[in-house]
Amino acid sequence: MKNAYVLFKRYGVALLSCAFLSATLYAAEETAPGVKGVTEEEFTPAKEVLTVKYVEMAKPYHMDVESLEGFFKDAQGVTVPLQMQDKAFPNGGGSVKSAEVKGIHDGLAIYFKVTWSDPTRNARAIAVQEFRDAVALMFPLGAVEITPAEHFSPRMGDREKPTNLWHWKADWEADLLVKGELEDMENQYPNMHDDWNFNPYSAYYHRELITSVEVLSGGRAAHNLLSQPGRGRVVEDLNAEGFGTLTTQAHQDVNGCSKYEDGTWTVIIYRSLITEDPHDVQFVPGGTTYFNMAVWNGGEQDRNGQKSISSQWHPATLERVAWQ
Amino acid sequence: MTLVHNWHLGRRMEYPYFESRPKHQFAAIFNINRCIACQTCTMACKSAWSYNKGQEHMWWNNVETKPYGGYPQSWDVKTLKLIDNGENTWYTDEKDEKLSPYGVYEGDTIFEAAAKKNINQWAVGYIPEDKEWRAPNFGEDVAKSNKPDEYSSLPEHSRWFFYIQRICNHCTYPGCLAACPRKAIYKRKEDGIVLIDQKRCRGYRKCVEQCPYKKPMYRGLTRVSEKCIACYPRIEGRDPLTKGRPMETRCMAACVGQIRLQGFLDDNPKNPVTWLIRHDKLALPLYPQFGTEPNIYYIPPRWAPRAYLRQMFGPGVDEAIEKFMVPSRERLAVMSLFRMTQTIIFEYKIEEGPKVFETTIHGKKFELFNDTVIGYGEDGQEIVRTTIEEPVHIRDPKHYNSI
Ligand code: SF4
Ligand code: SF4
Repeated sequence: MKNAYVLFKRYGVALLSCAFLSATLYAAEETAPGVKGVTEEEFTPAKEVLTVKYVEMAKPYHMDVESLEGFFKDAQGVTVPLQMQDKAFPNGGGSVKSAEVKGIHDGLAIYFKVTWSDPTRNARAIAVQEFRDAVALMFPLGAVEITPAEHFSPRMGDREKPTNLWHWKADWEADLLVKGELEDMENQYPNMHDDWNFNPYSAYYHRELITSVEVLSGGRAAHNLLSQPGRGRVVEDLNAEGFGTLTTQAHQDVNGCSKYEDGTWTVIIYRSLITEDPHDVQFVPGGTTYFNMAVWNGGEQDRNGQKSISSQWHPATLERVAWQ
Repeated sequence: MTLVHNWHLGRRMEYPYFESRPKHQFAAIFNINRCIACQTCTMACKSAWSYNKGQEHMWWNNVETKPYGGYPQSWDVKTLKLIDNGENTWYTDEKDEKLSPYGVYEGDTIFEAAAKKNINQWAVGYIPEDKEWRAPNFGEDVAKSNKPDEYSSLPEHSRWFFYIQRICNHCTYPGCLAACPRKAIYKRKEDGIVLIDQKRCRGYRKCVEQCPYKKPMYRGLTRVSEKCIACYPRIEGRDPLTKGRPMETRCMAACVGQIRLQGFLDDNPKNPVTWLIRHDKLALPLYPQFGTEPNIYYIPPRWAPRAYLRQMFGPGVDEAIEKFMVPSRERLAVMSLFRMTQTIIFEYKIEEGPKVFETTIHGKKFELFNDTVIGYGEDGQEIVRTTIEEPVHIRDPKHYNSI
């Protein structure tokens, strides 16, 4: 028996690889190991259309939720059902069941308001076990009509079917509020440089260490946007064409603001309708585009593929500008 | 999943990518028997690569005390639990020098356990919390006492502890690399060094979670993860000191106890590292059952209980200790190369010398020859020459009191 086991371990591979090869030939939709193909329904967009309402607005001095919320008063929202991400490893998420999306534009910029309930506010990702709350909107890049024939995956797009993603992060908002625009180690671990905190002037005593030039700054030296202080924004502008391809754009155009109250996140994400960046989605009043979205619940350790997703594209039509 | 061959396990195993071995593999041998836990290696690394902000908790090299110590705390116990299916045994009746030198592992690897548990990720793992990373040697020098009132004697001490020196293993099948959903981790074809691309990393901490050795570390300041880089500029020979030849890493070169020898695993039987690992089987992988084919090899401590060591280094332990206690002529010669130079040795040659004495060790005859061993660099040039007997220098009486 033991001998047979060893023989199998040694020669079984030839047999298994034959089986594996024929399996891969049949499963043409199987894009990569750990990835399941998208089903037919997922290539069909949702029926309900989000009307991005035209509103005349004088841009408020403070671009915060309080100042912007009022403009969404007459906008009709859609409720986007969310589910666990179960197609690409690592699977996960699913703790947020739905989110409401509203859209407005003023002929110059487009604003999306997303609200969802989350019992915990997770706005820091400094400790190794802490993950941020986040939300992302995704748009197909270029003039695309989402139909079942088009086979445009609502899950991060596909090769030669690129998407533009706007990723809002709760901790980027917190970063904006501190000196240097990046929450630092001391924010998470006050007096971390003292084993025994006998020194009442710890920060002064260790000032050289605390303010030292970061020679070995890893992600910062590599120009990773996540590592940069002073980003000046809370939404990251990205592209993707399939799982694992998410890439920060060289040119960042999107911004936003948020509010967390009574267990509900309200996030407003905005950008000018038209940009000069060929990697950006463009919006035309009177035209229709599609969006999809995902929500991350930091309290549930959500990040990357561990997220609550919508498995369908949603049409969004921009109202025409009402010229006087 | 594809099937790849893991010679530590003596069998094929599932892994998300195809088998792709580097030209030669970064590897090292640590002789546990000689380590004094001075942490010079730890500080050599720290002062080179992780002295900056956000890296306060990072010890890419650390030395911990077994059985109680661990950085992060209890990392190995926790990971062993995750792969435990009650039958993590080895079949050792049949061995193949090349394919299964230690026999065949019949339990689950971190990859197989994940597939069996259907957890929809590549490997089982966990993320240690910040408080678990507080110090590089928790439980320092805490001994385990089975029979506290008895004196200890070989072959197994009843009261024991030992030090284990840990860096990233630059695994052949890295758990960290498998786990990364963005392919931000890569293994270099030229030397098998495993690196995290600091630009592609998005701080998901999947590598922190799925490296069974817990060697990728999250840096809160930059919001991305970092890990041991095997001092790659030195390996590439970019330090002027070795004149363009590959140079050993900081932790190896600094070792006070002279326990470390670094090199590359290749097919050359006269490469000291390859010889000690593949031919002599004196040095063993750490927790081979995890399935990543780690490339740091250990000469197990001869006084610790064998069952514990077998769990830690696999079934090759008894043979390795036996060999270490009564070293052969060639073994003694190769082991004399430890810490003789920081230029990486690619080949050795032994010139035979006279017999110096003979004795009996643990009932076995032992003869000592004063052989000369010569180490050659990558370019075939002689870089070091030493003898088994260390030369004795007698100080001139007029210098007795001078320094
Ligand atoms: S420098 Fe050498 S002897 Fe000292 S702790 Fe490190 S491995 Fe052990
Ligand atoms: S020890 Fe861990 S971090 Fe290093 S290569 Fe192996 S799996 Fe990756």
